Amino acid sequence: MKNTVKVERAKLDITQHDLADKVGVSRQTINSIEAERYVPSTVLAIKISEVFKTTVNEIFKLEKDD
Amino acid sequence: MSNKLVIMESKINKKEPGLLPKYFKKIGLVLMILAFVPAVVVKSMNIEMVQSQKELFRIFTLNAFILGLLFVAWSKDKIEDEMTVAIRLKAMAWAFSLAVLYVIVKPFVDLLFKDPIQVLTGQEVVISMLFVYLIMYYLQKIGR
Repeated sequence: MKNTVKVERAKLDITQHDLADKVGVSRQTINSIEAERYVPSTVLAIKISEVFKTTVNEIFKLEKDD
Repeated sequence: MSNKLVIMESKINKKEPGLLPKYFKKIGLVLMILAFVPAVVVKSMNIEMVQSQKELFRIFTLNAFILGLLFVAWSKDKIEDEMTVAIRLKAMAWAFSLAVLYVIVKPFVDLLFKDPIQVLTGQEVVISMLFVYLIMYYLQKIGR
């Protein structure tokens, strides 16, 4: 699964730490999501999309092999 | 009916699998160290013990060590989130798989390198599982 968390975060000019605090996870978790090593749960994906004031589908996109 | 389903779902999705408070890590470490203090004292002071006493002593030492390991393994981290839960699950899968492999392979290793095949105790298996769990948990945490 691909995501644009890093791009969205850059647009808002917030750090991984800031985003982690807003959604209640560790900075390392945000780093893993951005590096596409970890796929977040539905709840966390919605929380992230709410921070960026957009929909989950805009941030997280399925790939062919998903 | 639908309420029941919601309750079941929320229980399944519960983030923390009943972990102990953070300070149990320190208690566990102290317990692991203290477990071997009586053994060191007995050894250094050359205290004579009969076989049954030795066996009881060994059981108490290992049980205290296992309890310490369990406290370290099963206590909360500074930040507990869904990724740490996923990491714990993977580490548990590793621990379980390697314990099964250990139980299967150990008799053959004994057969090759030692004369009698030694009986594998539950304590040995539990200690190896907890060690593998802790190693895999911290390796994954470092690598995330």
